[in-house]
Amino acid sequence: MNLLTTLASVLIVAACTQDEQASEDTEALPDPPRVYTVNYPLAYFAERIAGETVNVVLPIPPDVDPALWSPDAETIADYQQADLILLNGAGYAGWLQRATLSQSRLVDTSAALADQLILADDSVTHSHGPGGDHSHQGTAFTSWLDMQFAAGQARAVFDALVRLRPENELDYRERLHELENDLDELDSRLKVVAERIGDQPLVFSHPVFQYLIRAYELDGRSVHWEPDETPGDGQWRELFELLGARHATWMIWEDEPLPETVSRLEGMGIQSLVFRPCGNRPATGDFMRVMQENVAALEQAFPASAS
Amino acid sequence: MRDVLYLAWRYLVYHRLKTAILVTSIMLIIYLPIGLNVVVEQSATQLTARAGATPLLVGAKGSPLELTLNSLYFSPEYPELIDYSAATMVADSGLADAIPLYVRFRSRSHPIVGTSLDYFSFHDLSFAAGRPMALLGECVVGATVAESLGVKPGDAVISSSETVFDLAGVYPLKMKVAGVLARTFTPDDDAIFVDVKTAWIIEGLGHGHQDLARPEAAPRVLSRSEENIVANASVVQYNEITEDNVDSFHFHGDLAGYPLTAVLAVPRDEKSGVILRGRYTDDDATSQIVRPVTVIDELLDTILTIQQFIIAAVIIAGSATIATAALVFMLSLRLRQREIDTMLKIGGSRARVASMLLAEVVIVVILSSSLAAVLTLLTWRFGPGIIESFVLT
Repeated sequence: MNLLTTLASVLIVAACTQDEQASEDTEALPDPPRVYTVNYPLAYFAERIAGETVNVVLPIPPDVDPALWSPDAETIADYQQADLILLNGAGYAGWLQRATLSQSRLVDTSAALADQLILADDSVTHSHGPGGDHSHQGTAFTSWLDMQFAAGQARAVFDALVRLRPENELDYRERLHELENDLDELDSRLKVVAERIGDQPLVFSHPVFQYLIRAYELDGRSVHWEPDETPGDGQWRELFELLGARHATWMIWEDEPLPETVSRLEGMGIQSLVFRPCGNRPATGDFMRVMQENVAALEQAFPASAS
Repeated sequence: MRDVLYLAWRYLVYHRLKTAILVTSIMLIIYLPIGLNVVVEQSATQLTARAGATPLLVGAKGSPLELTLNSLYFSPEYPELIDYSAATMVADSGLADAIPLYVRFRSRSHPIVGTSLDYFSFHDLSFAAGRPMALLGECVVGATVAESLGVKPGDAVISSSETVFDLAGVYPLKMKVAGVLARTFTPDDDAIFVDVKTAWIIEGLGHGHQDLARPEAAPRVLSRSEENIVANASVVQYNEITEDNVDSFHFHGDLAGYPLTAVLAVPRDEKSGVILRGRYTDDDATSQIVRPVTVIDELLDTILTIQQFIIAAVIIAGSATIATAALVFMLSLRLRQREIDTMLKIGGSRARVASMLLAEVVIVVILSSSLAAVLTLLTWRFGPGIIESFVLT
């Protein structure tokens, strides 16, 4: 009995010591670096490449478009504490111009692709006082809808993450290749469906598809409609003027449009499909799944037999 | 002995003008070289410490001294301006971190330093209250500024116009104090730090105004077309950045072309610093890179040379003064011959009379030395500040 008691005591003490050791080890582990991003695609790329080795943060409420979001001072203070801040570039997230962030921690993921950026052509110049004419012209910023451009941004994310955690370079490189393969596959599918679309004119509900239109050589024009709002008479007139003699049969929306808008469009011979830019974190799934659904919707709308 | 000292003291007090002149002359002869040395030594230590902590400065080609004094000590004279792209170029080189500096504007006498958050971490500045600036229009003030203006986080400071005649130029900008720095006993205590973009707004390069496309702005719109809206000069431009109007603030054109006074380059290592310096050696380059410690050493060499000249002059003047003082004493002895004879006749020994005369000299020397010591102490306490303000203005 004594022997058993002694053995049990030894085992308990050993277990406690192991627990303490494990606890000390856990305490000794430094917090993973914090990587803040300005939109979901960049957060997704960082999560795919770095996995659990960094803490990727996208502090934007789910129902807000990150391109138009403006953080309060406390959220900017959180960004200031980040070890790395991934920017989309192309003038995305105008709040960056109005915030103070550490320059050494900012990485513009489209800097190396600056010559491929598209200037937005919907600006109005104005003048007042002695300053002369000036416009608030910007750059089209939904760059990740061109899958090759997105791959370039993913490589910039990889470079930044390697600078942050050089010891993980091999792992990161392997995951980057997987991500590039996925993006390449999407790119190939989009090219195939774009060939099927050919010269058919398309209408886009919002001017955020410039990179998709250019990359896949689509004949697309944009109106400025919100999917959750009924278009006014002026907006319908705008659509008629835009179409002119062209006969567009598809309107591509950034989100599910209202049924009455869909019905009225169908009355004009225009069908609707959704291609979500996925600027913010989706309620379900992830960036790749949303893009696959987008491509599938296009493939379904323009099947091989119809080309 | 007390009688001798008493007589000597009464003599000096009775001839107070002569005594005062003698004490002052000897005091100055003692004080000038010692005081000058104290000032130069202390200033050298202070100037070199800050310069030594600043590895490299990139600025427009011109006076390295002006660039260094403006960037390190925020002197009012600012160097030729460079583009913001110079900062990007340094950062993109991968050789150094780049901290932009735009030290041009003031709030009363306090310099407004346009920079980035990296400045605080580079100089290891901590916060006594509040936080770093986060939004346009916010500022962080040094300990002396907080004290002299009586401001704390949540209060405001206003930038000053560049000149009193600049009526149509730079608008004063009301800036919200986000934080107060802990005292560092460096020029940072006397500065107001803002984001470099806020400094550009002070200059008028960025601004916020009514949205001209909105109906409220209609009375101010002269003409409107699809591509252009022309408004008159009465369009309301904001001179304070608040949460309500911050979104209307914007910059026109490419920020890469916006001005800076300097870029503080922090090389990754010594080799990177050497490579970076090598990139600015081209004679045709419009910018230069300087090592502040070298510039300050050259300035101190000049000051030391001047100091040596002054000390030489003081030694010559001192010799002349001592000779004159000796002459004054000798002449005084002649003039006082009858007084000395009287003292001898009433029973004073020669030794005691000589002791009294010697005591007069000793008292004068002790008084002069004491005053010189007090002056040296005051110089040690306040001299560096005085010479710093003298050098920087």
